[in-house]
Amino acid sequence: MELLLFILPVFFALSVLVMPQSFVRAYGLIGGLATLALTVVLMANYNPDGGMHSFVAQQWIQAYGITLHFGYDGISLMMLLLTTVLVPLILLSNFGRELSSNRLFTSMVFLMQLGLIGVFISLDGIWFYVFWEITLIPIFLIAYWFGEPERKAALMKFFMYTFFGSLFMLASLIGLKSFAASFAIEDLQAVELAPEVATWLMGGFFLAFAIKVPIFPFHTWQPSTYSKSPMAGTMLLSGIMLKMALYGMLRWMLPLFPEALDCVTYPIIILGTIGVVYGAILAIKQDDMKRLFAFASISHVGLIAAGIMTADKDTLSGSILQMINHGLVAVGLFLAADVIERRLGTRSLRELGGIAKQAPKFAFWFAALAFASVSVPFTSGFVGEFLILKGMFSFDCVIGIVAGSTLILGAVYTFRAYQLSMYGPVKTSAFADLSMSELIVFAVIIIAVVFLGVYPKAVIDFVEPSVTNLLASIKQTPLVP
Amino acid sequence: MDALIVIFVSGLISIFAAFAKKPAVVLLGASGGLMVAIGLMVNQLITGDTFIQIDYEGLNFDSIALIFSLALSVFTLLIISVGYERFKEEPNHTGEYIGLLVFSLCGAMIMTAFTDMFMFFLGLEILSIPIYVMAGSRKSDVRSNEASLKYFLMGAFATGLLLFGIAWIYGATQSFTIDGIAAAVANGDVAENPILLVGILLILSSFVFKVGAAPFHFWSPDVYDGAPHAVTGFMASVVKMAAFAAFLKLFAGCFGGEMLHDFWAPALAVLAVITLFVGNLSALRQVRLKRLLAFSSITHVGYTLLVILSNDQLATFDLWFYMAAYGFSIIGIITVGLVVNDSEDRIEALRGLGKRNPLLAIVAVVSILSLAGIPPTAGFFGKYMVFSHAWNDWWWLVIIALINSAISIYYYLRMLGTVISTEETPGEKIVVNPLTAAVLVICLIGMLGLGALTPYLIG
Repeated sequence: MELLLFILPVFFALSVLVMPQSFVRAYGLIGGLATLALTVVLMANYNPDGGMHSFVAQQWIQAYGITLHFGYDGISLMMLLLTTVLVPLILLSNFGRELSSNRLFTSMVFLMQLGLIGVFISLDGIWFYVFWEITLIPIFLIAYWFGEPERKAALMKFFMYTFFGSLFMLASLIGLKSFAASFAIEDLQAVELAPEVATWLMGGFFLAFAIKVPIFPFHTWQPSTYSKSPMAGTMLLSGIMLKMALYGMLRWMLPLFPEALDCVTYPIIILGTIGVVYGAILAIKQDDMKRLFAFASISHVGLIAAGIMTADKDTLSGSILQMINHGLVAVGLFLAADVIERRLGTRSLRELGGIAKQAPKFAFWFAALAFASVSVPFTSGFVGEFLILKGMFSFDCVIGIVAGSTLILGAVYTFRAYQLSMYGPVKTSAFADLSMSELIVFAVIIIAVVFLGVYPKAVIDFVEPSVTNLLASIKQTPLVP
Repeated sequence: MDALIVIFVSGLISIFAAFAKKPAVVLLGASGGLMVAIGLMVNQLITGDTFIQIDYEGLNFDSIALIFSLALSVFTLLIISVGYERFKEEPNHTGEYIGLLVFSLCGAMIMTAFTDMFMFFLGLEILSIPIYVMAGSRKSDVRSNEASLKYFLMGAFATGLLLFGIAWIYGATQSFTIDGIAAAVANGDVAENPILLVGILLILSSFVFKVGAAPFHFWSPDVYDGAPHAVTGFMASVVKMAAFAAFLKLFAGCFGGEMLHDFWAPALAVLAVITLFVGNLSALRQVRLKRLLAFSSITHVGYTLLVILSNDQLATFDLWFYMAAYGFSIIGIITVGLVVNDSEDRIEALRGLGKRNPLLAIVAVVSILSLAGIPPTAGFFGKYMVFSHAWNDWWWLVIIALINSAISIYYYLRMLGTVISTEETPGEKIVVNPLTAAVLVICLIGMLGLGALTPYLIG
């Protein structure tokens, strides 16, 4: 049953290539919904208190310490759910767009899904790395084939930057393995390191994750890549791929190197906080809507990364909730930017205005998304950010206050974008209101966000036992004096 | 041993079959012989029996020599099949071309199986001399002639160094056999004997030349660039694998003891660093396919030197896997280059390949990914194996190698971008003949499936 998680995406990625052109989009949607259904079934069968459910655990290449070890707990399942919900939404939101080859596009999205699913359920270091890198190829191809005209330099930078980071993760994995029996996560966790060694090895992981998230000084690839990618590529990057890095911090970085935490927690939290303010300030000054949301994304994920590093139970649950929220809202916002661009041919805020009068339905859903993005109560962002900020305050109240500015700054840049594009004099020609497929995407996202805002316990209760286990494994390891 | 004889005989057959002036007969003879030999080797690997028991003290086809010979024969078979398209244009000489490649394979197999220095030297020469000729096989092409002459002069020089080194080592150890030398250097007095050390350095330099590591790499870009595609592929896959197999056998086996290792390893480590940077930085701005591949192969030599340094029990398997993965990748991309057949051999000629022939494009993409070491291709697993075993003693070298992997992404990605680009109007469609298509598919399977085979191969 669980193996279908690998089989379904591969099957759809290959079979879509031979489907008739007119049927490709519907077929892709069916595939996306099939994996979603599978995830829902797995979640229904999973007992949140049951700990890690590993469905394959056996030796593979003993001489090199590689095992076949896959499994999931509440956190992984939440990430799987996010992935499998967003993939059909991304495919659906692409219905209105002309692509040079729908077959290749859909196939690449499924390959991407395969890599993402693999990352979220790998419990062996090498498999984690392999899937982590596999995701890079389809996203590169999507952006290369379907992106904007001057995309090549940006993509080159993106690929080299992230690959560079990943190689250091590989180095750290190899280094850590030289002390352990195998790459299985339990064996790696059992290693006790001297703090200096742990810090260096953790640095390799951190570099890979920090580049992918991206955390403040490693973010320079992100705005250009986001704005040059096609809309679906941006959605995949910001909606899911970046969660991969946050998940990596949770699952791999914290439990593997508890010895280093004393030394690195503070710097990483400070970097995350700088990212919160820095991203927000730059977002305020942007004219291109996609770039604006890209910087906003830096701001939001900086907060999540900082929250994860506090290694506190409520904060971690909040971070997971916020990861889901950010995935949903980011996809919605980039779709909104794309809706405007597709109709008017521009994303520049200076050239926009008065869309609300022409397209009231769009204005409503965009406003709802804007509220979700600035985390007003009754949206999931509120609960998530509240939990994270609470954790940050108890960690250090100065950092908490600085990070808290995200609430104000977030409102400034989001509503500035909304106001400039939707209100004011009508500057542009006719604006057709939302099509059915776009409406569905917006509605699903908003319903999910509001549901999680009203009833966050659904997520928090689901992940809480797993988070407790994770933290127990961090705290158990005795700190070397 | 019987496989070697079969291959030698099939080489003879293909030379004599040339009198019939029917290229197809030559190809059939050579590839039939190679397939029989491959069958014999697989049989010997699995059951441990040979059909003809020949004992000769100079050669020992143990399982290590067999897996190397097996890969070498498969690569030769692939290259002959690919090159046939070009060879048959000159029906008078097809037999010579194919025969020389097959003879060269005999030398390569001897280099994996030798047990004394004499056979080692013979193997090296049997391997090299046909390649000197083959590099110049496009007689009317100035660059091909240059490649041949350059390779011959530099090769002769390196051979001289090697002979000289063997002589010094004989002087120190009074032995030509591997076992004799290993036993002699186990004695502390011999191991510190300067005569031995000079001999080791001379042999080391000749190996470094043969595999094309910096600073003895200057011949390789010109030779790779000038030689015909098939010969370039042969040099990159077969010659390199055989040279590395012998390199590892001598240096990990004979000179691998604690004291001697401490003597030559630091020197080799420095060479590895230089090789990595020289190969990578020179490759960045190349516009011609084979020249780029030449520099990329210098970089790959740099990674492979880590195997020689690593001093691990699994080093032999690491080396085999790495070179096998590299061989499939390079044959894949060279075949694509040969089929596209651009007179200037520009990378630009690969533009829009996906529209012109999807199979070629897929093979090109996977080859590039494998050369760059990106999962899930065999190139990644090879790199991982090499790095993981080198880590314990040479962690700083591994980090330098990883940085170089990151640099190399730049030119691989540029090449990848050219292959997959869609917007420009592509050239006309390319037709691939069935033989070449089969080679491409085998390369593809090799690049994607080698990693999954590891658990079986390692036993």
